[in-house]
Amino acid sequence: MSAKIQRLADIDRVIHEPARLMIVALLAAVEEADFQYLRQTTGLTQGNLSAHLSKLEEAGYVAIEKTFRGKYPLTICSLTDRGKVVLDTYRKIIKSAL
Amino acid sequence: MTFSSSRLLEENPDRIANQLIQKAHNRDGLPEIAIGLTFLLVALTMWMQIAYQPGSLTYKIAPLILGLLVPALILSSQWAIKKVRTQFLIGKTGYVKSKPVNRKAAGMVVAIAFVIAVAAVIAAYLGRNSSPPTAWFLAGTGIGGGLLLILAGRLPRFVVGGVIMSVTGVALAVGGVSLGTGFMILYGIIGLLSLISGCVVLVLFLRQPTEPAQ
Repeated sequence: MSAKIQRLADIDRVIHEPARLMIVALLAAVEEADFQYLRQTTGLTQGNLSAHLSKLEEAGYVAIEKTFRGKYPLTICSLTDRGKVVLDTYRKIIKSAL
Repeated sequence: MTFSSSRLLEENPDRIANQLIQKAHNRDGLPEIAIGLTFLLVALTMWMQIAYQPGSLTYKIAPLILGLLVPALILSSQWAIKKVRTQFLIGKTGYVKSKPVNRKAAGMVVAIAFVIAVAAVIAAYLGRNSSPPTAWFLAGTGIGGGLLLILAGRLPRFVVGGVIMSVTGVALAVGGVSLGTGFMILYGIIGLLSLISGCVVLVLFLRQPTEPAQ
């Protein structure tokens, strides 16, 4: 039991932050989503979401691609393979510890 | 924010994510408008069979509408909603690409629907000589449909719609109306409510200021 709790120390701090965890969990539930959809769904402000996405991109958990749909500019975000692995590990650690 | 740290610690983040996606799906009222139109079309076919004489053209067309137009509307509604969002509402709704359909889960749903359909046919065959339990059908459809609406929508307005559907079903059952008239009223009321609610939500959604694209 204590070994399982000790594993909490191994938790990835980048996705442990609630807003980032929600972004990653949302992106894990879809194929890809744009900035506006994530902003509307999470209720985060533009600045906050932008900062969290930058951190997730820096860590290599989220891929961000800027594109256009017609005349409308889209910032499309998707979870990378590394992001999927990290989220899966995070789930396992939390599940075993709680 | 629409979620909090404490809620994330208490609940599964995946479940919260799916709830938020479901909420986002119903944000613009388009799914309700599609559901409302479908129910109204079903109610219309029932009215056509009640109001017109058997053998008349309108009476004959009704099953065709029910058999062809209603399934076509159900099957095409998701595509149409996606098209409208992409074409006209992308600045407000944002863009999302869903994961491909899980074939195992979809197969399970089809298998359950098939089992229910077979059970209904067997029940109808066994009870062919007795008078149909109209009240049971109406109350059951009202309560079952209401529960389905509450569980699928997960928003206060769906809870209200689900309660109205259940109460209407029970009221029609107690009122002793015929099966055809009962279903026409039940589907008509739900269709109208969904359509009005969807239109109101869409208008309110369109009136919200659009934030500049990132």
